[in-house]
Amino acid sequence: MEQYSVRFLPDNLTVQVPAETSILSAAGKAGIVIKSGCGGKGSCGACQVVLMSGEVKVEGTGKLSHEQIEAGVHLACKTKVMGDLSVEVPPESRLQEHQVLTGSIKGLLSEKEVNLLQKYGLKPLARKIQFSLAEPTLTENTADWAKLYLELKKHLGEGKIDVPLSVVRDLPEVLRAGKWQVTVTVADLPERSEVIKVEPGQSTTPAYGLAIDIGTTTVVVYLVNLESGEIIDKQGTYNKQARYGDDVISRIVFSVDAPGNLEEIQGAVVNTVNELVDSICRKHKVQREDIAGAVAAGNTTMTQLFLGVSPKYVRLEPYIPTFSYVPPVTAGELGLHMNPRGPVIMFPSVASYVGGDIVSGVLVTDMANADELVLFIDIGTNGEIVLGNRDWLVSCACSAGPCFEGGGITFGMRAMPGAIERVDIDPHTYDVELKVVGGRKPVGICGSGLVDCLAKLREAGIIDRAGNFQKDIESHRIRQTEEDKEFVLAWAHQAEGEKDIVISENDVKNLIRAKGAIYAGIRSLLRMVSLEVEMIDKIVIAGGFGNYLNVPDAVQIGLLPDLPSERYEFIGNSSVKGAHLALLSRQARVEAVELGKKMTYLELSVGNDFMDEFVSALFLPHTDLSLFPSVDS
Amino acid sequence: MAVTLVKERWQSRVGEVILGATPEQGGTRSHTITVGGDGTLPFLHFEGTVANRPVVALEVNDVEPDWSPRLKEYYADVINNPAAWAKKCVDEYGADLIYLKLVGANPEGANRTPAECAQTVKDVLAAVSVPLIVVGCEEAEKDNEVMAAVAEAAAGENLLIGLAEQENYKSITAAAMVHKHSVIARSPLDINICKQLNILINEMGLPLNKIIIDPMIGGLGFGLEYAYSIMERARLGSLVNDKMLAMPMVCTPGYEANRAKEANAGIEDFPAWGDLHDRGTMWEALTATSLIQTGASILLMRNPEAVKLVKQNIEELMVSNA
Repeated sequence: MEQYSVRFLPDNLTVQVPAETSILSAAGKAGIVIKSGCGGKGSCGACQVVLMSGEVKVEGTGKLSHEQIEAGVHLACKTKVMGDLSVEVPPESRLQEHQVLTGSIKGLLSEKEVNLLQKYGLKPLARKIQFSLAEPTLTENTADWAKLYLELKKHLGEGKIDVPLSVVRDLPEVLRAGKWQVTVTVADLPERSEVIKVEPGQSTTPAYGLAIDIGTTTVVVYLVNLESGEIIDKQGTYNKQARYGDDVISRIVFSVDAPGNLEEIQGAVVNTVNELVDSICRKHKVQREDIAGAVAAGNTTMTQLFLGVSPKYVRLEPYIPTFSYVPPVTAGELGLHMNPRGPVIMFPSVASYVGGDIVSGVLVTDMANADELVLFIDIGTNGEIVLGNRDWLVSCACSAGPCFEGGGITFGMRAMPGAIERVDIDPHTYDVELKVVGGRKPVGICGSGLVDCLAKLREAGIIDRAGNFQKDIESHRIRQTEEDKEFVLAWAHQAEGEKDIVISENDVKNLIRAKGAIYAGIRSLLRMVSLEVEMIDKIVIAGGFGNYLNVPDAVQIGLLPDLPSERYEFIGNSSVKGAHLALLSRQARVEAVELGKKMTYLELSVGNDFMDEFVSALFLPHTDLSLFPSVDS
Repeated sequence: MAVTLVKERWQSRVGEVILGATPEQGGTRSHTITVGGDGTLPFLHFEGTVANRPVVALEVNDVEPDWSPRLKEYYADVINNPAAWAKKCVDEYGADLIYLKLVGANPEGANRTPAECAQTVKDVLAAVSVPLIVVGCEEAEKDNEVMAAVAEAAAGENLLIGLAEQENYKSITAAAMVHKHSVIARSPLDINICKQLNILINEMGLPLNKIIIDPMIGGLGFGLEYAYSIMERARLGSLVNDKMLAMPMVCTPGYEANRAKEANAGIEDFPAWGDLHDRGTMWEALTATSLIQTGASILLMRNPEAVKLVKQNIEELMVSNA
């Protein structure tokens, strides 16, 4: 097939692609990540590019206006390369780099730091052992590996020790170069040890490990010193898979859509991790070779995609994942930027929609050893909920939709600089006071801001309990547009952009559905075990969103159960914290596998309970007001 | 061996609502009608209090309705005079109340002004002495104006006015509060929305004993059993002390039953179905009697012969089985 060159501006990057490749894919090849919320269906209109020159085939223009089309604006996903092109990618079409929340930001309750190792003790996934061997002679003529093996036995005790051929190949020269002083990196795997690396002499650098959280939206990596347990650095960024769609379903659809797509989407997430690793390694002058192991946690789909296993059946009824537990794989097989022989351990999943990230979170909460009843909620695109104590654990997943991450909301955005995170509305004047991430001019509103906003709109009487805008309020902030009613949060001149930032009645209804889904999930789990809300002793909230969450407001709108705030606890990104723990402790690794098996999964789509609960939760705070005694009527 | 009847002990009861107002109470009705108040499932006299009998309201329209000729026959002489129509319903057909529909307000139809509608209500009030139920033309914007005018013109009469719905409840609730009427809260066969609407109305300041639930129904053969179970849930809710569900219910068997093909197709088209006259009457009567079995307190009906059957059935059911 004919190859054409596509030049992207202002980057001035040129790639060669076959005819009929979409501009979106070409951009991907050039390493330019264009927003594509709908996954290339031409419906979201996010992937606008300007065609400067060249021949294309237009297969759709979506929501583009006449003026835009005349100005040369094209949808990158629906425009195919038919000749050499020059294309400008405007900044608003690019997935911006941003600092994903990796530290703790003070919420109403600050994130709880848990001393993870207190209970488990340090037994890292890999470590370096140094010793000297006797130099061979004509009479002491044991083979190199046999000699090393005997010495390793002394350090590692009973148990099998494996060595890959590539290490054996290095062995003779390494031993001699170090004058029989040697540093051996050994991985601690289930029921065996494996030699990862041999170095001459006494290595002064420790073994490092990676703790990875593969989120649908964001990926976070910790580089950890496996000798001390200390975190060298944390970094996070958007999951590059975002260009194939915002949610797991559109990613699954893409991955099975055409041959080669699975490899492409796997490559995207591996690249995301690799870029973070490279960036940390550069900053701290760490050699890739010294990263001897990794533990990763993600939802079931993310886990399968990371390993290049097709998630096709995760999406199809009866929703069967390919595996829940998978034995360690090597970094080389995945193409991770670390020692290719180093093991990569994936957290086990419970079911198609309760994944390793949740098992990891449960490990961190230690609820599997608790006497009291603990409710763990991870609020992301899916709300995953686990309830239980030392005797039992039940879990479920409810699709809350992407609202709390800013999706499906007129001015919704992720929690990044420019996002409104706190809203106050004066109930008399309807004046608005905003707090914006990074103290900048507002660009949009993120999940925590939306929770606040909903609570404050209700408090001010601008919406009723059903989420309807009230017509009898006189304020220039409340307006009727052609298709909707809206409330102005920030006027254009106060904002970063040319438009007023508003929240519409439709946004409000979306939020009510999202919060209703989470609360209905909680109630369904409780119902399954015949317990009442008041019986929950502790509620642990996780997720990037959780760091900002205002608990009283979340209760006010009926997102979270009406329980005293001292029962609430924030643990932030529990997925990466669990991965960190498992990296450092053998016992934690063993427990994680057990946890995966121990959790009972409740499929909410079976039976009517969830639907019933959901519909009654579509009210502020709830149709059954007795569930929210502290909320003023 | 004697069978012991299992008796449920309920914590609460359905709320009572009084319709109409006598001159002493600021109105002009000869008597008031109280509905609701039951402390058990319908007609289980042996288990709890069956406080008030279900009542029947006959429907009167302010313009000639597009009903079947079979139904219009009963009202042929009065069909263009709502006051006379109402009087006939009470005097001849034994209606406990009058259910006046101001269809003529519809902007797509006769487009009567709020003042004209209010006058119609006054005329009907003057013609009969029973309490009145008044609803608009089901065009939200217009109804808000019309019902405000009606509420004002009939201030103190304690009408039962409608319809308050989740998307449009404020103006009618406000009108009821100011001029001392009760409100029909209509929800689309959904127990949650039903309850939410009651909360919304109550939070505006209208007391719970001024609200009647219209749960919406399907006629016989057209979802009656679904409506039945929704209403049963509401009744069970009120018995276990769910105050926001504990209102009496009003149902529309006259409208729903007569929409069915079975109530309109002639014997020539369906010989096996039998005579249309009796079939049509039975269709409405059976829809109505099923509804009282699941807790309906007010039946809005059209067919006088069906009313006769239903009233007889109510009479029998009100005989104590304790």
